[in-house]
Amino acid sequence: MRPEHRERARIEAATRVVDRHVAALRPPEEVGLEALVNDTLYHERRRLERDRGGDPRNADDSAFYHRIQKRLRHASARDLREMLDQIALRFASEIVGNFDDRVYKLSTTVVPTGLSVLLTAMSPGKLGSLGSLRHGLSDHVQIQGTVDHVRKLLDKGTLVVVPTHSSHLDSIVLGYAVHLLGLPPLLYGAGLNLFKNPVTSFFMNNLGAYRVDRKKTAALYKEVLKEYATVALELDYNNLFFPGGTRSRSGAVEQKLKRGLLGTAVRAYVGNLQSRRDKPNLYVVPCTISYKLGLEAETLIDDYLKEVGKNRYIIEDDEFSRPRQVLNFMSNLVSLDSRVVITFSRPLDVVGNFVDEEGRSLDPRGRVVDAASYVSDGGVAVHDAQRDEEYTNELSAAIAREFLRDNLAMSTHVVGYALLDMIQRENPDMDLYRLLRTGGRSPSVTATDLARETERVIGALSRSTRGPRLSDELSSDPAAVVDDALRAFGSYHTHAAAVRRGDRVFHENRNLLLYYGNRLKGYDLGRNLARPSGEAAEPAGARA
Amino acid sequence: MTTDECIGVIGAGNWGTTLAKVLGDNDKRTLLWARRDELCREINETRQNSQYLPGFSLGPSVEATSDLERICKSASLIIAVVPSHTMRETARELGNYLNGEHVIVHATKGIEQGTFKRMSEVLREETCLRKIGVISGPNLAKELAARQPAGTLVASRYDEVFVRTHAALHNDYFRVYQGRDVIGAEIGGGFKNIIALAAGVAAGLGLGDNTKALLLTRGLSEMARFGVAMGAEVMTFGGMAGMGDLIATCSSPLSRNHQVGARLARGEKLEDIQRDMRMVAEGVKMAKAANDFAVRKRLDLPIVRAVHNLLYEHHQVPLLLKELMSIPAGPEFAALTV
Repeated sequence: MRPEHRERARIEAATRVVDRHVAALRPPEEVGLEALVNDTLYHERRRLERDRGGDPRNADDSAFYHRIQKRLRHASARDLREMLDQIALRFASEIVGNFDDRVYKLSTTVVPTGLSVLLTAMSPGKLGSLGSLRHGLSDHVQIQGTVDHVRKLLDKGTLVVVPTHSSHLDSIVLGYAVHLLGLPPLLYGAGLNLFKNPVTSFFMNNLGAYRVDRKKTAALYKEVLKEYATVALELDYNNLFFPGGTRSRSGAVEQKLKRGLLGTAVRAYVGNLQSRRDKPNLYVVPCTISYKLGLEAETLIDDYLKEVGKNRYIIEDDEFSRPRQVLNFMSNLVSLDSRVVITFSRPLDVVGNFVDEEGRSLDPRGRVVDAASYVSDGGVAVHDAQRDEEYTNELSAAIAREFLRDNLAMSTHVVGYALLDMIQRENPDMDLYRLLRTGGRSPSVTATDLARETERVIGALSRSTRGPRLSDELSSDPAAVVDDALRAFGSYHTHAAAVRRGDRVFHENRNLLLYYGNRLKGYDLGRNLARPSGEAAEPAGARA
Repeated sequence: MTTDECIGVIGAGNWGTTLAKVLGDNDKRTLLWARRDELCREINETRQNSQYLPGFSLGPSVEATSDLERICKSASLIIAVVPSHTMRETARELGNYLNGEHVIVHATKGIEQGTFKRMSEVLREETCLRKIGVISGPNLAKELAARQPAGTLVASRYDEVFVRTHAALHNDYFRVYQGRDVIGAEIGGGFKNIIALAAGVAAGLGLGDNTKALLLTRGLSEMARFGVAMGAEVMTFGGMAGMGDLIATCSSPLSRNHQVGARLARGEKLEDIQRDMRMVAEGVKMAKAANDFAVRKRLDLPIVRAVHNLLYEHHQVPLLLKELMSIPAGPEFAALTV
């Protein structure tokens, strides 16, 4: 974000939120204001207690909140309002971050090289020359879908790119893709842990990222964050949100999306119409990022399988924080069969209609409809929180549909699914957790059986009307698909998901099989496979 | 005094004309759509719809027209009241003239045959609209036309749909309640027709109130099971669009579904009954849709199955009754644990 905009966004985000609260106050105003200040204090102090020593800025925060607390005792309505302003501005300042415009300019021209530099710096010997690495990367990061369509929309409004999220690499890979496509950089909220991580901090600081601290639970903080995103959209910065909120733990494509940040789209759109902006339209572009191998697969699925998964919402000690592991993964990406495929889906308007190449909204029958009419009352654009929440639900459902449709099924997903499904059917009396732990009666299946099952899964997927797309490798002979997946499994993970010995395939890390197989959830595979028992293939308790 | 806002009513059948009459009673400027010009002429010249609502006059603020485009341009609140089998076609046509600001509520009971789609889904698929709602409740047209006290439910995810429909319809004889469970309201309004048909059979057999109460209560239970499987909230079925509608429809010999059931019980053939009746008995279609869905979802709905078998498999009434009564009775809410 340009410096003049940054300051404006910071102040507007904070004041809009406080103004909104003040406007909704009922007399006596002191009561409502004090409750809000107290709520924020409570959440912030709790965070500081839990995170003692975690962040160097915590001491500063503690002192700040201590001063607020002291003033609170004898505060008038005016004092309280001032305190709220201070707190909101403090939040906004952190979100905006310390941003160096010179570095930004530099980085936007050398972004992809930066990624290469990073990798090369980590292991120059292993990865060879910069040139060959770049070549390697573009071979292994494949971009497909509505690229031309998206490019055309750039001139017609502001983009909100909403990708699936399964790895911390997503934002980097996407940043790289955006650069390759010649699109302007995307502004996005990145978790504070990404700023701390040696691998990513470089990109986060320089790719237009703003800071999101997921440890901050105060409602006021979340509001300021959302308002910042809204203002950024109104200032015509193309944005990127991960609507799943966090990386998919189960491996499944996100179907339950967070409406908070997504809701900024319709808010910003109304704002644009009200301020009569030249190009008020907002276009939401769903985007699926499909990895043949998951960098953080082992940690994510373990976390998912733990009942306490929710308590570990922020994982800071995963593969991503271990440079060697990232390096292994990256070298796989460029030297082996691993691939990342980014698929841009059909762009949507803020209420979930498809948009044509001219940027016009289309109804389900393909008729052009005026997007502004959805937020109008008697022809005038108005905010309506309840209505807009429902619009965001509609948008969210449309994004989820596109995710399913454009998700790319690869050999690892299909073979992971097929193998785990075979094990489950051989052990119908075992619950999933026991099966994952013990592996059931037999440690292996025959390669022939696995190939046959793989073929059935591919067949069922190709019959499914909801998606997914099928990766090229799936059109080869089923036995070759199995080999391809086994090769990939064996190339990166500490413990391969499955290994072939002779004519048998041994399932060695069933959690990983579940992780990869889960990518094919949402296509009614249980029914489409039409197994004799008619039982759903999705294991109970393993839903995303 | 007539207020400026215009309301469109799509469909000048029995129920559409009745709702137009309520709007007229409320002095709301109303455009009532009928496909046939001669019907429009009759309504505009005589203030009556002699075919579908004989004996009642429409207020001066109601005007009939066959021009859908004019309605969509004049009215931002549209009430769609067309039979379920013509909803898709009508909605598609309407879709040519609508924009995102329009609000639509439908008052059509039943589910689209073949697709199992609810009317709000059909409207969503055929138009650009988001602000969609449903009117459903214990509303026998003739009683409402006679201004007898009654109530109904308007369900929508959008508050605006309720607020505007309430402002248009609510008055001193018609109470309009708010709901958010569109699925439940739609299921209730369609499903009760099956039970009404069964209640008609019981009446036709000369069975008394005990039987009727048994039928209604267990019918309500089937309705809730069916609804929850479709994504509805169970509480909706205890309200206007569930129990309320069920009581009214099953108590009244005026109901078409009741009449079909009673005549079947007397041994008449379905084809003959339908030929005699000018209006569509939704229960006949709904029984098929619900039974197909129940089979697909493996839901146990004995009354639905019996009505289906009576209508489509030519099973005999006494045998069906015997079958129903031989089902083991266990905990009353066993199948309703959700």
